[in-house]
Amino acid sequence: MFKLLKYEFRKTAFPKLVMLALTVLAEAAFLYGYFANKEDAMGTAVLFLVLLTLVGIALMGIMSLVILHRDMNTKQGYMLFMTPNSCYKILGAKVLECGLSLMLAGAFFFALAVLDMDLVLRREGVERIWDVFNQMLQTLNTRLEINVPNVLAVICYIVTSWLCTVTTAFLADVISSALLNGRKGNLFITFLLFLVLSYLIGKIVSLVPATGTIQAQFLYQSLISLGFAGLMYFVTAWIMEKYLSV
Amino acid sequence: MLESKNLTRKFGSKTAVDGVTLSLKPGHIYAMLGPNGSGKTTWMKMAAGLMKPTSGEVTFQGEPVGIASREQVAYMSTEPYFYAWMSIRDAGKYYEDFFADFSMSRFKDLLTRMDLEEDLKIRTLSSGMVAKMKIALTLSRDAKVYMLDEPFNGIDLLARDEIRTTILEAAREDKLLLLSSHLVEEMEAIADQAVFIRNGKLIEVRDLEELRETDGVSMADRYRMIFGHGEVN
Repeated sequence: MFKLLKYEFRKTAFPKLVMLALTVLAEAAFLYGYFANKEDAMGTAVLFLVLLTLVGIALMGIMSLVILHRDMNTKQGYMLFMTPNSCYKILGAKVLECGLSLMLAGAFFFALAVLDMDLVLRREGVERIWDVFNQMLQTLNTRLEINVPNVLAVICYIVTSWLCTVTTAFLADVISSALLNGRKGNLFITFLLFLVLSYLIGKIVSLVPATGTIQAQFLYQSLISLGFAGLMYFVTAWIMEKYLSV
Repeated sequence: MLESKNLTRKFGSKTAVDGVTLSLKPGHIYAMLGPNGSGKTTWMKMAAGLMKPTSGEVTFQGEPVGIASREQVAYMSTEPYFYAWMSIRDAGKYYEDFFADFSMSRFKDLLTRMDLEEDLKIRTLSSGMVAKMKIALTLSRDAKVYMLDEPFNGIDLLARDEIRTTILEAAREDKLLLLSSHLVEEMEAIADQAVFIRNGKLIEVRDLEELRETDGVSMADRYRMIFGHGEVN
């Protein structure tokens, strides 16, 4: 499994390095703005950093999906499927790669945000920053307060629900490649299937009652998302093992 | 050792392999022969466990092909299948990581004999160089079965001699080699058994020495008889 995981990381290395390089550039612009007292540069850099965070997290899942699709539908799939590994291991490595990449990316962008915030806090004062954020959230009519446990719960929810979305897309793609291959309109059916599954899972996750703390709600929803991600993994691997030809 | 029973594979309405029952034994080099689209590659892919049959089954040492058989069956596809980022060294390392029977020293030795440098990126190689590298990778495994699909494709005469020698070195009493090629004369110098396939159906399996002694014809002659005139004499 470790070797499979190693090659899954290698396959997705290039776009990740591009994202890292862009983030380093944006961070350099932020630091330049901070130390040179150029608020415009700092503001633009913050916008880019927020954008890169969102794109970066999304990219982790999308890259895993693209690689799986390529492994099943191009000759490069021989490299993977001729090795003495079961589809459960092969897909497991892909899901793990996606999950670990999401966690690492989440931790990286969170750490960067904390460091940058710390710099700003030193200049503006802690309470002023919290006030600004909480006012923003009140304006958006949410009852979420900014504090470390809440932020961690939100990150946990984002990572697990995105992992669940990606594994749902894995299932739709495998059904397309293994069962519908060569049939007209299979991309449409795949996309439709993905939408239906995602909608159903979203509905089930939203059934968590809005009681208790906000952290508890996010954690329950994260657990349900993780459970669905596991279910999607087993169903997908089973279909691959039984029906997939490369 | 490697058997298929009533093996069939369909792609929509087209039947690529049609009820092929075939038994291949160790100690032989089989030439799988047939025109384009006769089902040779599809049969090999099913035997390698890469493709699922529509019906029938392939077994290796009595067990359906799968994870365990992939440890002992070395398959070389005719199409290039390497990751774009790989160098020749990376490909060797990949095989070493996944196949316990892969010998890195044998691989390096074969690369030297085939004038290939490890640092070269695979995407920059000519088709002939890729073909040589694929042979080096596959034959650096100490497998029980080697299945080489079109090993001489796009390879010049001198390199072909080197590949032929390398293939013959891999042949042993306990090993089975199966090669497909359009270069029938080339195959005659290597193989001792011929498997003729047409339109997905197995026509016959012949011992080449017996073919020469009893029928007085070469493998190429027999090929012409079967595929040239459309009927078996």
